[in-house]
Amino acid sequence: MTESAYKVKVAKDLQDLIPTFLGNRKKELDALRKALAAADFEQLRQLGHRMRGVGHSYGFERVSDIGKHIEDGARHGDKASLETQIAQYDEYLSRVQIAYE
Amino acid sequence: MRILIIDDDEDLRTLLAHYLKQEWPEAELEQFDPLDRTMPDASFPLGSYDVVILDYQLGRGDGLKWLAEFKKRADCPKILFLTGAGNEIIAVRAMKAGADDYQRKQELTRERLIKSVRELTLGTVEKTLSPEVAARMEGHALGARMRIPGIKVLHLIGEGGTSRVYLASRERDDEPLVVKILRSEVTSDPKALARFMEEYAMVERIQSPHVARIYDHGTSEEHAYLVMEFFEGGDLQKRLAGKALAPQESLRMFRELMMALGDIHEKGILHRDLKPQNLMFRIDGSLAIVDFGIAKHIDAIDMTGAGEILGTPRYMSPEQVQGRALDLRTDIYSAGVLLYQMLTGRHLFEGDTAVEVALQHLNTPPPGLPEQLSQYQRLLDKLVEKDRDARFRNADEVIGFLSRKYHQLPAAAAAADKTQPLH
Repeated sequence: MTESAYKVKVAKDLQDLIPTFLGNRKKELDALRKALAAADFEQLRQLGHRMRGVGHSYGFERVSDIGKHIEDGARHGDKASLETQIAQYDEYLSRVQIAYE
Repeated sequence: MRILIIDDDEDLRTLLAHYLKQEWPEAELEQFDPLDRTMPDASFPLGSYDVVILDYQLGRGDGLKWLAEFKKRADCPKILFLTGAGNEIIAVRAMKAGADDYQRKQELTRERLIKSVRELTLGTVEKTLSPEVAARMEGHALGARMRIPGIKVLHLIGEGGTSRVYLASRERDDEPLVVKILRSEVTSDPKALARFMEEYAMVERIQSPHVARIYDHGTSEEHAYLVMEFFEGGDLQKRLAGKALAPQESLRMFRELMMALGDIHEKGILHRDLKPQNLMFRIDGSLAIVDFGIAKHIDAIDMTGAGEILGTPRYMSPEQVQGRALDLRTDIYSAGVLLYQMLTGRHLFEGDTAVEVALQHLNTPPPGLPEQLSQYQRLLDKLVEKDRDARFRNADEVIGFLSRKYHQLPAAAAAADKTQPLH
């Protein structure tokens, strides 16, 4: 993934909301891992779907992208793809850089 | 103003509440988490709210069922229903179930939310009617009056200079459709009306997978209308959003555009108004051309060179700017301008006025592509040649060039899900 993929521009007035948003994404990552370990594809689909909706709303397009792939992977029961996506999500959350403007 | 936000996602509820509070600091906003609480029963004071924002997927619940229950109540306030992008049938069902407006969740911006809530509270909370809102209300009212056999007009979704665009559905199966209604001020102009009807006749003749499907046309309430397919993937303008697309993705779209042009040119039709807003995407990522409002059969084009100048200055060919007789190569040029924009995220020519931009098509050499895109320079040069005799002659020539030079283009379906670069 290129460096630009980790840079996100967020409206300044949302600055107060972002710590909670990112905190919830980390909880989400844990939930994804647990659901994958339990092969709970319905839970994975729901989590992916939620990521799709909320990522874009806050300007984190990559969260939406990964969410879409997780939703698709869960629909097809594709464990390997889900593992890859969850690993990418982990990497993204650990490296994302936010610029408030 | 009191607003209830029902969504299973805490972050989304918080964000919507934040946007609304910024616009209406005095507003009372209540968040409702359907994961913690069951559907409100008759004792819930639904009527105390001015607007309810209701998501379509409520964790374990179904937003459409909640909507249906709410709408049974006499005190039901206005409902703004949130749907998923690429799932327009939910929007159709919500509007048929009585939702007062809908928004695609993935595309819901601050501006769209405020605009929607403002319109929903007109006459109660919002007392002042701006000209823009008044025009939209007129559009909503017109949609409600339209009677089209087998079709239900549901909601105004867009307004253009000559027509209004509505989400509609086929009554027998809820298939989402678009109804385009010509504005009354244009209907009274026989020339404009004839052009609108010509659009229907031409598009019907084309029968190409790369051209919007037209299902019906006619008049209702003295308004001319077209019924056409709904594009869940939106338009190129939305995909670009001021950014460059990945080169492979740009070339895939451009190749599909060339196939579309090949199909329409084969029928002797010139589009003459290619622009990002006229390139639509289906849910599978395939591209289709819409809006043949100024298209012409090549035989009908004024060969005297004194034809009228129509089109969008940013994408006009030099010969179009000059008002000269046009041929297939005018669309090839415009497609080249679009390719430049897809690859770079910038317009080929900038200017303060339409005339300034248009004149650059005549006189200014096109800017070169950045170094990392240099492999596409020759293609672009042959597309946006000012001398049309030096340009590709037709879409087939372009497709042949693409196949020879960039034969590793990805298949359309595989690329349809490609993620967009971040900004």
